[in-house]
Amino acid sequence: MSSIELVVFKLGEEEYGIEIGFAQEIIRIPKRITKMPDMPSYIEGVTDLRGRVIPIIDLKIKFGFEQTERSVDSRLLILDLENSLLGIIVDDVSEVIKIEEQAIERLSGEISGLNSNRIQGIARINERLILLLNGLKMKSELLMK
Amino acid sequence: MIALEGIESCKTLAEFLANLIPGGVVFGLVDKNEFVWVKASDTFTIDFFTVGNKLSDDTTTMCAIHEKKVLTQDIPRTVYGKRVSIVSIPVIDDNSEAVGALTIALPKLHPVAAAFEDFAPILAEMFHEGAFLYMSDLTKIAYTQPSEKFDMPSIPVGYELDKTDIAYRVIHSKQPIIEEIDASRYGEPLNIANYPLYDDNENIVATLGIVTPKKTAVTLREMSGNLESSLEGIAAAIQQLATSATVIHSNEEILNSDINEIINISEQINEISAFIKEIADETKMLGLNAAIEAARAGDAGRGFGVVAEEIRKLSAQSKSTVPKIKQLTDIIKQKVSEASEKSTRSLDASQGQAAASEEITASIEEITSMSGELSNIAKTL
Repeated sequence: MSSIELVVFKLGEEEYGIEIGFAQEIIRIPKRITKMPDMPSYIEGVTDLRGRVIPIIDLKIKFGFEQTERSVDSRLLILDLENSLLGIIVDDVSEVIKIEEQAIERLSGEISGLNSNRIQGIARINERLILLLNGLKMKSELLMK
Repeated sequence: MIALEGIESCKTLAEFLANLIPGGVVFGLVDKNEFVWVKASDTFTIDFFTVGNKLSDDTTTMCAIHEKKVLTQDIPRTVYGKRVSIVSIPVIDDNSEAVGALTIALPKLHPVAAAFEDFAPILAEMFHEGAFLYMSDLTKIAYTQPSEKFDMPSIPVGYELDKTDIAYRVIHSKQPIIEEIDASRYGEPLNIANYPLYDDNENIVATLGIVTPKKTAVTLREMSGNLESSLEGIAAAIQQLATSATVIHSNEEILNSDINEIINISEQINEISAFIKEIADETKMLGLNAAIEAARAGDAGRGFGVVAEEIRKLSAQSKSTVPKIKQLTDIIKQKVSEASEKSTRSLDASQGQAAASEEITASIEEITSMSGELSNIAKTL
């Protein structure tokens, strides 16, 4: 029986998960974020992470949330998407969990198509539903027009 | 002098006059040295003037017979029991020998004594608590006049003056005396005024005394005294009350500042718990990063992953204490603010108490001064 490990974080009230292989690290939201001109509104800017310049993406703006304010628990989750580093702003990274493959419900093609294949499935843990982000799709969606 | 033949005419005249002379009179006819005829008025008599009584040589009558001239003498009370004037007129026979005398005795009465029965009953009733009037001669009580409200049965007519009696002292000092005496002597407090009375020759012959009870005045004075001392007691108690109100006031102030300090301390506890939360957040992040790192390391990172999991659990535990601490400090704050409110209320109450006791003190002072006035009035009664 195969299992996968997920980094679980919150966007608003909802819990999202991404395979741990796409995660590099979690840091506090940097004080200095350099704005860049002519960028989509969800690109917050860029910051320096130990000598590498990485873009910062406000995922809630990208996903069309109405409430996008941050709290003391907001964090920057650094993702490593096929050697491209980028940071996404999330409302609290809650845990790293290991779940069985069969606990993940794959979405039907129609539903998946409606949200541009961003969510590859839903993990059910007890009463919790965790939306599973498609890491492979993320890079093209976030960094390419 | 009277001729022997005129004697019968004199007797007739005397019989007729006896009851016409104000104050009364006693006529006596002496033959040689013996009363042979006596005529006394209804209101005045002398026991010695009795037919058959013999006179000694030192009497006015015998002196008049021996000296063959009319003699007038004042006889003190000690001789006949009352002051009298004696007039003796010798009776002469044909040979110009004095064979007897006609003796007239007139009561010698001070005008005040004579009027006593007229003015005393009226005067006695004029006093609020009644009065007892009396007159004494030089040795004993001669007249008494009680009032309806007040009498002194222990001082009857004939009472022998004692040297402690005021009348006795007036007679010997020749000065009027006005004195208050307490209840120890006559059973109630009295005011006694006594005045000497003089005869025409400026000799003291009697005293006039007036006794008024002082019961009301003394009772009033005692009551005002009691009132004053109770008021002093009350004033002292109020003073104590005011003092304790001040103590309560300062205690409440201390309590208030203690309460503020407790509020500060719970604020500090909250700051510390915020710091704990921060550390827990940081630890959680470290744990998550460690877990990510372990996963990226694959099998080699498995042991590290376990440690990372433990770290995350610890951070979750320490973080969970934060809301508990917050809850506790919130309860502390709430309780403390309740206590503060109560203390403020009792502070207000104690201020009210202090104000009230000041008011009472002012009233008491007023009453005290009134009772002082009352006492002064009582003293003058």
